[in-house]
Amino acid sequence: MQLYDPTSAGPERNLSRAAALAELEGRTIGILENGKLNAAEMLGEVASLFVARHGCIIRAVYAKSNASAPAPAETLARAAAEVDFLITGLGD
Amino acid sequence: MPLDVQRIHDVPDDLLAAIDYCYAQGWTDGLPVIPPVVERVQAMLAFEGRPPQAVITSHPATGLQLTVHAAAVNAVMAGCLPEYFPVLVAAFEAMDKPDFNFHGSTASTGGSAPLLIVSGSYADDIGMNADVNLFGPGNRANATIGRATRLILRNVFQMIPGISDKSTQGNPGKYSFCIAERSRGNPWPLLCEAQGYPPGVSSVTAFAGGGFCNIENHGGSTLGQSVVVLAPEHMHILAAAGWTRHDTQSFLFAQARRPVDGMRRVGKYRQSEYDKQHDADPHALLEPGFVHRGLAPDDILITMGGGDAGGHSCFIPSWSRGRLSLMQHKPIGVCIDCD
Repeated sequence: MQLYDPTSAGPERNLSRAAALAELEGRTIGILENGKLNAAEMLGEVASLFVARHGCIIRAVYAKSNASAPAPAETLARAAAEVDFLITGLGD
Repeated sequence: MPLDVQRIHDVPDDLLAAIDYCYAQGWTDGLPVIPPVVERVQAMLAFEGRPPQAVITSHPATGLQLTVHAAAVNAVMAGCLPEYFPVLVAAFEAMDKPDFNFHGSTASTGGSAPLLIVSGSYADDIGMNADVNLFGPGNRANATIGRATRLILRNVFQMIPGISDKSTQGNPGKYSFCIAERSRGNPWPLLCEAQGYPPGVSSVTAFAGGGFCNIENHGGSTLGQSVVVLAPEHMHILAAAGWTRHDTQSFLFAQARRPVDGMRRVGKYRQSEYDKQHDADPHALLEPGFVHRGLAPDDILITMGGGDAGGHSCFIPSWSRGRLSLMQHKPIGVCIDCD
């Protein structure tokens, strides 16, 4: 008996992680907040710890208009060009 | 030849062993599936005009794609007959529209399941149940089209519970959640007509539904309850009073509201949501100081379904309390607004 495979055979994507930063001192931070209640405040507080402990600089806050949709590609591309690392999170 | 057409598994010529093989591969929803043998898949494909490698839906986050071929394989596994296939294809075309928010509605903790509502003569042609126990078991088309939807989400889009499907509790509709709109005795234009499709064209509407809330009203002909799928008994009360779909939507829109102060007290008030309703070109039925359900009466879809006996309608809330997923519809088996 021959069975077709029911899973996707679409184009393979590279989902590997970016290399970790060698050091944090003086790096620029971006915040990607998802629009949920208190998200900006919580992520801002996390970023402030990096500022206090490592002299990081908060460069930009990026927002998603829809908490459960992927961030627009252009937003991620802009963040990649503008900051050294991005802080984001998800929760209710 | 696309990859999924090439990927064939040779298994022993034993039906029960083949079912077990599908389990072992992780291809099931927990229930046994029909092994997707080549002949059955080819029969399913005969009901779709596009080539097997044509893409129906793409996942906006992972890039995974649903081809016509993969849809056919999963339809066979769910137990669909070939004539059901156009409904399944149209449903995924609808879910591919950006406003449906395919990723969020299938991954969220909220536990959404895509509710499919088939409207028009095609539902009758394939023997769907819009009548007694329409949400329950017993009808092959309802059960297997809904089940195929879930199998595709699992097998093609890898929405695996606990990994990429993070539903806190899920809901039983995640096994199957597909009904037909009842046309028999329906005093209103069918959804497919209200959606603007030409005469004779049926449609399927996909809605990221939360759980199922039964609404009981055996008591009389008052109109004070919020419903989405009206039982015939309730529908005829409305129709006898001369109410149209629009009248009913408007009534529900005006009544389905909460005072701002009350929402503040339970920590559910958001100024941005209130502003979205009340600031820019607000609907005339909106009352200041209240948060309504939706932005306009059209946000409350009303259809009819169920048996003749019993005043049991139901309300299915959106998975999203906001507008993260908007219901979408598509014609079945015809190309009207193809991209």
